[in-house]
Amino acid sequence: MKADTSQFPELDKTKFEQRGTEFKLGIPITNAVTVGNSIAVGFGDGTVRIFTSGESSEPIKAHKGIVLCMSKDGDNILTGGDDGRFLNISLDGKISEIGNFGTRWVDHVTANNGSLVCSSGNIVYLWSPNHKQPKLFEHNSTIGGIAFDTKGRRLAVSRYGGVTLWKKDYSNKWNSSELNWKGSHNKVIFSPDGKYLVTSMQENQLHFWRLKDKIDSAMSGYGAKIKSFAFVDDSKYLATSGAKEAVCWPFDGDGPVGREPICLPYVGNKLVTFVEPFPNENAILTGLSDGSVFLSEIEKASNTIIIRSFTEFEVSAIAVTKDCSHLLIGDMGGNILWTSIWDEEKK
Amino acid sequence: MEETNKQVPVTVLTGFLGAGKTTLLNRILTEQHGKKYAVIVNEFGEQGIDNDLVVDADEEVFEMNNGCICCTVRGDLIRILSGLMKRADKLDAIIVETTGLADPAPVAQTFFVDQDVADRTKLDAIVTVADAVHLSTQLTDHHEAEEQIAFADVVLLNKIDLVDESGLEVVKERIKKINPFAKVINTTKCGVSLNEILNLDAFSLKRVLDVEPDFLTSDHDHEHDDDVTSLSFVSDTPLDMEKFQDWFSKLLQTKGQDILRTKGILDFTGESDRYVFQGVHMLMDASPMGKWPQGKERSSRLVFIGRNLESMNLKEGFENCKSA
Repeated sequence: MKADTSQFPELDKTKFEQRGTEFKLGIPITNAVTVGNSIAVGFGDGTVRIFTSGESSEPIKAHKGIVLCMSKDGDNILTGGDDGRFLNISLDGKISEIGNFGTRWVDHVTANNGSLVCSSGNIVYLWSPNHKQPKLFEHNSTIGGIAFDTKGRRLAVSRYGGVTLWKKDYSNKWNSSELNWKGSHNKVIFSPDGKYLVTSMQENQLHFWRLKDKIDSAMSGYGAKIKSFAFVDDSKYLATSGAKEAVCWPFDGDGPVGREPICLPYVGNKLVTFVEPFPNENAILTGLSDGSVFLSEIEKASNTIIIRSFTEFEVSAIAVTKDCSHLLIGDMGGNILWTSIWDEEKK
Repeated sequence: MEETNKQVPVTVLTGFLGAGKTTLLNRILTEQHGKKYAVIVNEFGEQGIDNDLVVDADEEVFEMNNGCICCTVRGDLIRILSGLMKRADKLDAIIVETTGLADPAPVAQTFFVDQDVADRTKLDAIVTVADAVHLSTQLTDHHEAEEQIAFADVVLLNKIDLVDESGLEVVKERIKKINPFAKVINTTKCGVSLNEILNLDAFSLKRVLDVEPDFLTSDHDHEHDDDVTSLSFVSDTPLDMEKFQDWFSKLLQTKGQDILRTKGILDFTGESDRYVFQGVHMLMDASPMGKWPQGKERSSRLVFIGRNLESMNLKEGFENCKSA
């Protein structure tokens, strides 16, 4: 390991960079996921590292090639890799294999209340708690994304031509219905209030469905593919990447139809590549293609502060610990900033 | 760190079942070159591939949601190439093997359409492995075989030990008629030096300037309407840019499905630079490529490869673009 940790403050560094620890690992960061007050990071060499305040982070050799996707199940980390393995990793670094698909990649993983789900090719595999054999959900094309709703009774699977919505009835049987929209759908998420389903598409646009009446619409006008989007402040806004501003669509009231998004501009005029809601606030952390990261209040753009200055590599991961004490930023050049959010002296 | 931003070349291997794609692939992989290759194979592969980085893919052709039927891309490639670009170690090249019945157009179009793919990888060349014994029959029976020849930058004419000399000439003539640009290499058991099929940069505009099309003088008898053929036009009279753009964009919009590939070097009135373009169906890469070389005659050259070209009034259209 050649973790070059530099803790010497320099004049051009932000107060977070001065206060925190920077790691220049040189391995692309593919994912980061919050697990309690720790943050697990996945890398392009198949390793996972766990960052916890006051503890050092050692690489855990999880996958052979790339950590393609990450999620969590309670206090455990779930990963999928290009070695075809679906893994469960505990915070102390113990790895157990949930599934193995050989030369087929595990593209997406998620979990809810002990139900573990991954997708490989056009099939979703669901392991119910205490079941050794997964249940298989087959689709007509390779799966672009999977997501549970908050309660875990609905599982959305995006694909070519729309989304397949699997619903568990009260006898625990899964039934599917189709939400169709032409084109290839990638990442999919439910709004935290369960009212909306949103996908990003191969085209530079998003698509949403209001689930109670199946009304759907596109959100377009982006200059690039939307790789990152998330609901903020419960379900009030949908913050999105893919433009030179963080585009935040209003999802309160009757939703975004006929309403304008709030666009948060950033200095440098670079593409937004990552957005992460700041927990319990109407605010987002925005990562740009040059590596810089800002914290902004959505309804008060003047309240924007810089968290990290540029590194030249696009931001590919941002995560905040559950207690909101620390945050982690990772980019495609393998640079990590791990810092406390609040000034210790003021606390 | 700059290394991360370099585009990784992608070579596409096409060819009918049994032509020798897997033989070629294993040849590339086992040669002592010290390079790291990723190989993307389809699940109907003929035999085992000897490499530690093999990715299984389903050939998924996606229509883009913009209403243009020409604009299809390979969704599985977008997913896999984007994933491979997150690897910590640098790949020297990526090789995509297609199934025998695959249309190469969506593969090529993927590199035009998807920005992430275009930023981090580049289409190096389409290499088509053809069976010298069976190619003629395959070309008659299957559109896909014609398309694979039409899109090829290199045709590896394999199993030449199994045909006599006159038979070989007939096959070669057939290839040239479809695609005058392709470099035809005769092989037995795909014995070819790797620098003839890898790192060719065949899709760069610079290469359009280097390759002289090899046209046959034979006329167009014995052709069915939907045979793939090629037509070329040359003009020493400079072209009017506006007229050309009008004609050419309308042509691609209406006939883009039948026009498989185009390449050209253009001499526009009042422009000191040469304009170079190359396209796949409706998608086009075009740019001025510097001044005309000193002492060389300025002229415009335009080549079409496609179906039903005779019905498009190409000659008339091109003539009308000449400056008055």
